[in-house]
Amino acid sequence: MAATPEVYVLGGYQTDFARNWTKEQKHFSALMRESVLGGLQSCEIAPEEVQSAHVGNFAAELYCMQGHLGAFFTEVDPAFSGLPTSRHEAACASGSIALLAASAEIEAGRYDLQAVVGIEQMKTVSASEGGAFLGTAAWYAEEADGIEFPFPKLFGRLGDEYDARYGLKDEHLAELSKINYANAKLNPNAQTRTWYMNKEHALCRTDDNAAVGGRIRIADCSQVTDGAVCVFLASREYAERYAKGRGLKLSQIPRIKGWGHNTARLRFSDKVAESRGNEFVLPHVRSTVVSAMERAGIADVNGIDGIETHDCFTTSEYMAIDHFGITKPGESWKAIEAGWLEIDGKHPINPSGGLIGAGHPVGATGTRQLLDAYLQVTGQAGAYQVEGAKNFQTLNIGGSGTTSCSFVVGV
Amino acid sequence: MSVTSKIPSGVELRKLLSSRSIERVVILGANGTMGYGSGALFTQAVPHVTFLARSKAKADEGLAEAISQVRSPTVASRVETGDYDSDLDAAVSKADLIFEALTEDFAIKKQMFDRVEKVRRDDSIIATVTSGLSINELCEGRNDSFRRNFLGLHFFNPPNVIVGTELIAGSDTDPALVDFIDAFARLRLGREMIRTSDTPAFAGNRVGFKVLNEAAQLAEQISPLLVDKIVGPYTGRAMTPLATIDLVGWDIHRAIVDNVFEKTDDEAHATLELPAYMAKLMEQGVLGNKTGGGFFKKDGKTRLVLDPATGNYQAEADVKLPKMEYVDDIAHLYGQARYREGMQLFLGAEGDEAELARKVIAGYVSYAFHRVGEATETLDGIDRIMGTGFNWAPPGVLVDTMGARAAVNMIEKAGLPVPDALTEAVKNGREDGFFDAPHINTGKFFVAG
Repeated sequence: MAATPEVYVLGGYQTDFARNWTKEQKHFSALMRESVLGGLQSCEIAPEEVQSAHVGNFAAELYCMQGHLGAFFTEVDPAFSGLPTSRHEAACASGSIALLAASAEIEAGRYDLQAVVGIEQMKTVSASEGGAFLGTAAWYAEEADGIEFPFPKLFGRLGDEYDARYGLKDEHLAELSKINYANAKLNPNAQTRTWYMNKEHALCRTDDNAAVGGRIRIADCSQVTDGAVCVFLASREYAERYAKGRGLKLSQIPRIKGWGHNTARLRFSDKVAESRGNEFVLPHVRSTVVSAMERAGIADVNGIDGIETHDCFTTSEYMAIDHFGITKPGESWKAIEAGWLEIDGKHPINPSGGLIGAGHPVGATGTRQLLDAYLQVTGQAGAYQVEGAKNFQTLNIGGSGTTSCSFVVGV
Repeated sequence: MSVTSKIPSGVELRKLLSSRSIERVVILGANGTMGYGSGALFTQAVPHVTFLARSKAKADEGLAEAISQVRSPTVASRVETGDYDSDLDAAVSKADLIFEALTEDFAIKKQMFDRVEKVRRDDSIIATVTSGLSINELCEGRNDSFRRNFLGLHFFNPPNVIVGTELIAGSDTDPALVDFIDAFARLRLGREMIRTSDTPAFAGNRVGFKVLNEAAQLAEQISPLLVDKIVGPYTGRAMTPLATIDLVGWDIHRAIVDNVFEKTDDEAHATLELPAYMAKLMEQGVLGNKTGGGFFKKDGKTRLVLDPATGNYQAEADVKLPKMEYVDDIAHLYGQARYREGMQLFLGAEGDEAELARKVIAGYVSYAFHRVGEATETLDGIDRIMGTGFNWAPPGVLVDTMGARAAVNMIEKAGLPVPDALTEAVKNGREDGFFDAPHINTGKFFVAG
């Protein structure tokens, strides 16, 4: 069988996740426009060169009373009129699904240069109304209807499951929160970069850090975020021209070396029931991570220089640590205590701040992770740069561990 | 002057950070806004912080404010409080960093430094949060180790929200210390660091208060309500100028512009003279929001607007404003992130109001560009402090958005001096590319309001 054609990452642009676009009195289209124009500018790509566009978004119909988002791409520049575009939805994994679709089209030889935009404007409604909208990423009628903030509660149950199987201490979750917030201070586009946080605060049990779902408290949660990220993916042919035009070697342009994609049962209780007897609490997440490594030709996590993972809550990051194979199943706490997850540690996780620190505009998260992986392996991550990073892996999860996507980006 | 226009990499910053450690910080003036605000910030990163004030009760008040500002009772777990008479000597002698946030009065600060000099360790760092007093003058006459370890660390208010921070070295400050503090503030406190020279009001307040004061001068000709409308969000600022002066406090505004007016003699000197009506009203106790009103005040749910000539107020709804449809049209374009098109409308808008607005904006751009080489080495420094300290569209962003030729035309029409950099750019056909901080989203400055 012939080798799969390569997919190159040319870079992109992230909006500042601390911005509140409703407060700026800006329409959803402004978010799209700024991210795409920013991406074109930072990658020095002319609009005429883009051949196709994919938009990842979860729930613009609910938050912004707006659908047909692929079409909004054509509003950014007159050159985009007539371009093939589409929109992809898989809850919080929407951005990764858009990336998968775009990369598959490059692998199929359909297009040489694709724009992928992940986008979500969430601050249009109150926190509780938004919480209900997010509940549609679960089986709404059975898991979310009538429940205030259903997702913290679902991920609280993930922590409970760990606790039941292996034991889980709040102080380890607090340490994850602390690291993410500290890393976010280094990231000029992170939502929480000015927020107050340290381990004492993450552990405090007052109204300033109120419980929102079982063991999940405010400091354990990613926040309601507005944001968009545009990245450009290219075929080898285009990447060769792109590199030559900039005096680079093709080997300096990062590639998507591997990917993984799995969908588990929708209800959290079904996922947990299926995993009884398995050493991993969410086996489909584990196989997604492993698939991406295998496709990249990387034996295990020791071949990965850093990870951008889906910490919608501290419990999902706790789960990711052993699912990436950093520790044995159930021993994620060992990596936390050993300091392996910090930027200068053995296995840095979320140097950007992750979802808890950098922010979680739902449909944009997967593309943000890929862009951060690109920045890391090209040495452009600024103050949150992992020294000498060559291979970075992402993990993006939709629902309560339902749709899982992972990419290995490397040079 | 040492200036870093490019941000060092994280790897370089972490190397610098490892060169020494800060475990104990003392805050002098911990009951003041900048004292407790900065003190709270330090508690995120430093295990022991001592809040000192004239009395322990005052320091406790500062701690309570700090807790309330950052909404975390855990601030208290890292803070001790005390007073100058009983606790200063012991606290300062143990401190790695002494952070001075006393009232903006040269004599008071000097007196405090007399005490600090006597008890501090030779290797401790002394930082002042002064917003405009000379760093060199503040440490004049001190011993070598004091002068080598002394610098300005100008946070903006409130420090937990506004990340823009000016770092000002004195002529004897150890350059290695400046690099260390830069790294510490970036990595541990999440600051956007801008190095400025030791000029009056440094870079941010020099440029920012010139524009604010010009708006206050305009309020003698037209209603404050109209001033804030014409130099409003559509010109690249979330908070309007006169509302900003009310928030800052008229007394602070006066201290800054009087200082700059007295110590400089630049091309825009006249715009830095405090309007006489403000001085008169201040004598009657009008200081802005802190005294219940300034240019604006609230009467229940009704917003009232000052008449500078009489000192009386009238309801906002009773102030007749001219039609300014162009402002709404620009806001509509900004709502779709069409900033260049909005700026073209601004440049072409007809009427006295548009003319006045362009004069203020032209003054801002011209004045900022002329401070390059004086307040900061490059435009990048001024741009970043205006963007991250004032949350205003930086001058470089405005030029990039309107185009260099259009900016030159606007400045010429306003009768103001055109900066050489813009003349040169037009000659070379360069229309944009002045703003050099790609990590800052520029669209956020153009609020569609």
